Amino acid sequence: MLFGACMGISGASLQTTLRNPLVSPYILGISSGAAFGAALSIAFWGTGYFFFTQPSAVLWSLIAIFLTFSLSRFRGHYSSVSLVLAGIIVSALFSGLLALIQILIEPEKTHTIVAWTVGRLHTVGWRDVATSTPLAILGILGLLVFRWRIFLLSMGDEEAKSLGIDVERERVFVVFFASIATASVVSVTGIIGWVCLISPHITRFIVGSNPKILLPASISVGASFMLVADLISRTIWTFEIPVGIITTLVGAPLFLYLMRRAMHEWS
Amino acid sequence: MSGVKVKELTFGYDEKLVLDHLSFEVSKGEILAILGPNGSGKTTLLKCLNMLLKPKGSFLIESFDISKLNKKEIAKFVGYVPQMHSPVFPYKVIDVVVSGRAPHLGFSMPTKQDYNNAHHVLDKLGLTHLADRPYTQLSGGQLRLVLIARALVQQPKVLLLDEPTSHLDLKNRVLVLKILRAITSEGITVIMSGHDPSLASVFSDKILLMCNGKIVSYGEAKDVLNRENIAKVYGVNVEIFERNGNRYVFPVVI
Repeated sequence: MLFGACMGISGASLQTTLRNPLVSPYILGISSGAAFGAALSIAFWGTGYFFFTQPSAVLWSLIAIFLTFSLSRFRGHYSSVSLVLAGIIVSALFSGLLALIQILIEPEKTHTIVAWTVGRLHTVGWRDVATSTPLAILGILGLLVFRWRIFLLSMGDEEAKSLGIDVERERVFVVFFASIATASVVSVTGIIGWVCLISPHITRFIVGSNPKILLPASISVGASFMLVADLISRTIWTFEIPVGIITTLVGAPLFLYLMRRAMHEWS
Repeated sequence: MSGVKVKELTFGYDEKLVLDHLSFEVSKGEILAILGPNGSGKTTLLKCLNMLLKPKGSFLIESFDISKLNKKEIAKFVGYVPQMHSPVFPYKVIDVVVSGRAPHLGFSMPTKQDYNNAHHVLDKLGLTHLADRPYTQLSGGQLRLVLIARALVQQPKVLLLDEPTSHLDLKNRVLVLKILRAITSEGITVIMSGHDPSLASVFSDKILLMCNGKIVSYGEAKDVLNRENIAKVYGVNVEIFERNGNRYVFPVVI
């Protein structure tokens, strides 16, 4: 549920700030950075040392987001579009590196890495929850504090500036908080897809687009979505299916449905 | 007292000068219309006046040098209505309008007082019925008025508008310009760009005619709008009629 909460609000914040309903924390390279970090640690220290895997994932996801920001700098400015494009480049880079690691190491380790990139909850213990909670709460609180500014940022760069906002600096803050919220949970669960993309859309559908309500609401919607997905993953088969597979399988068609409804409303 | 005083304003990208040493003054509560061909630097000039771009030269609003202020302080002096606004999310009109309170609020959320303020401005512009509509569903004219309402909620001393009448039908054009005329009575100085010399003559106090980043002529309509100036700037022969002190400019087709 913590995972869902983080993903819900991060997705909602980033979509609003970058004025793009298709953005997710994953698109900025956070997830592939985390996956690479996790893989790196698994490759070096093996699967027994989960103690190393989490910090390595957090570290590399922050490195990835830093890289995304540096690449998107153009003439000393960061625009929303260049940020998204740079994120895609960084994601591709880390995915490539991840594949390289998978080829180079022993097959049983590769198996662990694959399980990690699909995303699962059944290996997560209370100790992991304890280590990721502080960062997650920091990220969530940061985003909640910023929700009025996020609304202003969504007016577009020039208009936000003419309303007296230091657009570039505040956008960095928003992305930073969203990144730590995401990294804190992704580092223990692996990459559980679609939650961050779809929860904000469900929430928008229920409470409207204004971040004042959207952000807090997306926390609970994200958490609920995860809870349901987890329940399905535990009960549908004789063994537990990684929850990331469920969220993707459920998320994709649900997203299509919401997309059609939203398109109708927006046009 | 002088509303806006611009002296030797210069701006360029890399080597190319876009604005070349512009100087002009607009009195408090007056409307200045900036005319000029596409690409003559009208929008750039407006963006320099609210410091979206960083020009050289001095620029005073009611004797304050706003280039020395931070963004938030500038936004309390200058409101800006862009030519284009592409809505992404279907926010309510009232929420969009209340965002004009931003420079007065900082990080705190808008209060009931701020919403009252926004409703008041909507009432004044005759937009009360739109308050709870999603602003993605508005017509071009309504959207323009909503953006003007947002800028007014900012309580600026100077209102900058980038082609406020473009893409509007005749009725909405006149409506927008009448509203601008009405707000100058509250001591707000209006600077807008446009393409219609006749409308500029009727609705503004001063006209600034520019071409290639330079001022060709500046002053009252009767001094600026003549056949020589129009031919020089637009390369078009025109006939000019005068009635009630206003000038009406029509192109001559031979």
